[in-house]
Amino acid sequence: MSTALQNLVNQPYKHGFVTDIESDVAAKGLSTDTIRMISAKKQEPEWLLEFRLKAYEHWLTMEEPRWPNVHYPKIDFQAISYYSAPKPKKLASMDEVDPELLRTFEKLGVPMNERAKLAGVAVDVIFDSVSVATTYKQKLADVGVIFCSISEAVREHPELVRQYMGSVVPAGDNYYAALNSAVFTDGSFCFIPKGVKCPMELSTYFRINTEESGQFERTLIIAEDGASVSYLEGCTAPKFDTNQLHAAVVELVALNDADIKYSTVQNWYAGDENGKGGIYNFVTKRGLCKGVNSRISWTQVETGSAITWKYPSCVLRGENSTGEFYSVALTNHHQQADTGTKMIHIGKGTRSRIISKGISAGVSNNSYRGLVRIAPTAAGARNFSQCDSLLIGDQCGAHTFPYIQVGNPTAKVEHEASTSKIGEDQLFYFAQRGIGAEEAVSLIINGFCKEVFQQLPMEFAVEATQLLGLKLEGSVG
Amino acid sequence: MSRALSQPLVLWGLLVGDALLGATPASALTWFKQLRAQAVERVGVLTVPTTRDEDWRFTDVSPIAMLSFQPARNTSGQTLVDIAGFMLPEVAARLVFVDGVYAPQLSRNDSGIVVANLADAVLAHASEIEAQLARHADFQDSVFSALNTAFLHDGAVVLIPRGVRLEKPVHVLYLATREAAASYPRCLLIAGAGSAATLIEDYRSLSEVAYLTNAVTEMALAQDAHIKHVRVQRESGVAFHIGQCVVSAAKASRYESVSIAQGARISRYGLNVQLCAGAECTADGLALIDGEQLADTHTTIDHAAPDGRSRQLHKCIVGGTAHAVFNGKVMVRRGAQHTDSAQASRNLLLSPRARIDTKPQLEIFADDVKCAHGATVGQLDADEVFYLRSRGLSEQAARDLLTFAFGAEVIERIPVAALREQLKAQALAYTHH
Repeated sequence: MSTALQNLVNQPYKHGFVTDIESDVAAKGLSTDTIRMISAKKQEPEWLLEFRLKAYEHWLTMEEPRWPNVHYPKIDFQAISYYSAPKPKKLASMDEVDPELLRTFEKLGVPMNERAKLAGVAVDVIFDSVSVATTYKQKLADVGVIFCSISEAVREHPELVRQYMGSVVPAGDNYYAALNSAVFTDGSFCFIPKGVKCPMELSTYFRINTEESGQFERTLIIAEDGASVSYLEGCTAPKFDTNQLHAAVVELVALNDADIKYSTVQNWYAGDENGKGGIYNFVTKRGLCKGVNSRISWTQVETGSAITWKYPSCVLRGENSTGEFYSVALTNHHQQADTGTKMIHIGKGTRSRIISKGISAGVSNNSYRGLVRIAPTAAGARNFSQCDSLLIGDQCGAHTFPYIQVGNPTAKVEHEASTSKIGEDQLFYFAQRGIGAEEAVSLIINGFCKEVFQQLPMEFAVEATQLLGLKLEGSVG
Repeated sequence: MSRALSQPLVLWGLLVGDALLGATPASALTWFKQLRAQAVERVGVLTVPTTRDEDWRFTDVSPIAMLSFQPARNTSGQTLVDIAGFMLPEVAARLVFVDGVYAPQLSRNDSGIVVANLADAVLAHASEIEAQLARHADFQDSVFSALNTAFLHDGAVVLIPRGVRLEKPVHVLYLATREAAASYPRCLLIAGAGSAATLIEDYRSLSEVAYLTNAVTEMALAQDAHIKHVRVQRESGVAFHIGQCVVSAAKASRYESVSIAQGARISRYGLNVQLCAGAECTADGLALIDGEQLADTHTTIDHAAPDGRSRQLHKCIVGGTAHAVFNGKVMVRRGAQHTDSAQASRNLLLSPRARIDTKPQLEIFADDVKCAHGATVGQLDADEVFYLRSRGLSEQAARDLLTFAFGAEVIERIPVAALREQLKAQALAYTHH
């Protein structure tokens, strides 16, 4: 990534996007008062405030985890402001957008209408968002799908939220999940009723409520019996964000025969070439295959953030349920990633598949950390894991920590891992066919990641491919 | 959660032991005395690991810390007749330690090199031993290795001079006889440049009683040395065994090891090999356990310099409610280019309540390397069982045969025929029950 671009993404407020912040931002610090204030501002019911306070109480007793293979200075949780009213950054037109950013969009092949939105231009200046929103809303409502912000869901469908929130990731699950449970401000809620195949891919791009969800995002997706949904999160362009810490929680619940596919492309600000700045992305993502024959599939392309620390997991409780995890994690410069998955097999005949591709460049460190646990109850369970690492340069690191815990003799677990590099001979082969080093690397990486990209929805796959090329610019040759 | 600091001191007899060892000839050596004093100090500071320590997550040693063990003081009265069943034919030298105490009447040495008890050798070969003893097995962080070092007295010393190639193996037999005894066997092998030898370390017991073995082995391989190491842990089924082996392999040297764990109620073996430029290592292992046993193997193969090569096959066969743990770390340090490493963890669960925790771990800081690992956990292949049944074998016989073959793959790699046959017979007995 060019320095110019990094500088750009590091200065979101350069053009005076935001005015009049004071009145909507809470004072820094975290206490029960902060939590009561957040809850009151959002006019939440009593039970949710209880949920938050309980989580906070639990959080106070917890210690910040030190086991991940990542290093960062201690976070001062009292120096964070936990509430700021949503204030979308608005520009009058595309002309006001920094030309560097536009060039990035060009390279990534982001569609025109999305560019505007990503750049923070008020969408309705460019095209009629109301009609777009209405079209989507109508189409989803026709089949009974609920797709809205979590705040809206708390107001409109409190019984659903109450039933499922915290059922997959309990409030005290881990340090950052507890923090999120105490102070989350917004996120997405998605409910697919019985037997419904969601007619379109749900994306945060087109979330009807376009509020920013802030650094403590909470997502809850429920697929009832026989329902299916594909959910896309994230964005391939560098996100304007000065927040240091992002601690999101994502919960998925799949009932009998339900199918949830969750795809992420994450490209948050990764810090500069010297490792200064950047986002700490500490996320808890977990899916519960509650019903028989249910299926949850995680696909992630992680290229941004100074530190990525997340393990999208599946708890396979329903008989014959399936969990999948497809991941590409790329680190460059001083980035650190400790990511992987957990497949907890509880039900009989449960299956899981893990494909993880780690690419390290610069002086970065990339770790795969995974757990496959076969409980004594999981007769006939099956797991296959493959994690491959690609190293670019001799100053980076690639690490693999696969935990395999088997307590049932009828289970079959296989794990394999390999490490490779982009060979001189490979580059030579390309060169001899008239393909330059930069393009050759991009092609090799695409081949390396193919199994994961195949899982992404088409537009995402194209963008992800270009994104990897862009991120690695100047790393080779 | 950590156990009180002073507890192991009392429980494991350190105070008693210290008094006992005060008057030995070796303690006249200042460096030796200092070494032990430092270790005693560390024992006072370190705590017994709990399952909250990442390295001991699956191995709960609290049953050991709960019991009281005392080091044996006296030399044993065993005769050669008593240990006839534990001897191996065709060895160049044999050193026998009974409850950790050197038994000269049971030992012999026809090898032509120094194969001697530490307490004696440390006087005759002080400078050579001083340069290596406790320089490899770190006792700053491990309470078990600190305890062993604090008790430094008897132990095996094998010094192979430059260029000497021993044809026949050196056999070190650690024999346990007494209930509630704590033994702290030490072994130091120093292989000169271009030398070659085979070392067998065999941990056995005369009776099925509970005792503690806390062993440390150190090996220093000079350039082009070639050492084969066979470690057989067949302690009493109710005993506790904590063992550690640290190998430092210099340029272009070669270390080949096979370790078998089939005894002890709770056992833990840590193997740590550091490879310098162009050094090679194979580290194979088999845990064959049943009943309520727990066998934990932690290995670290550290590629510290370029052009190293390592191969590892670790197998576990687990029956009853037994629990096998394997943690195999392969480290490739910055600059250790052209490292070639392969590791496989293969595990067979025989009963519904048996359990495996395996973690093949890679840490790589160099780009031009070939590193692969694989792990499998499962049961016998149904097709293979069917094939044998179609040849007229009963279901049970087919399963037994396949289980035996699974384990025999590792046993076959032992370079000493007599030992190999012995262990195969034991594996057969294990599978036919």
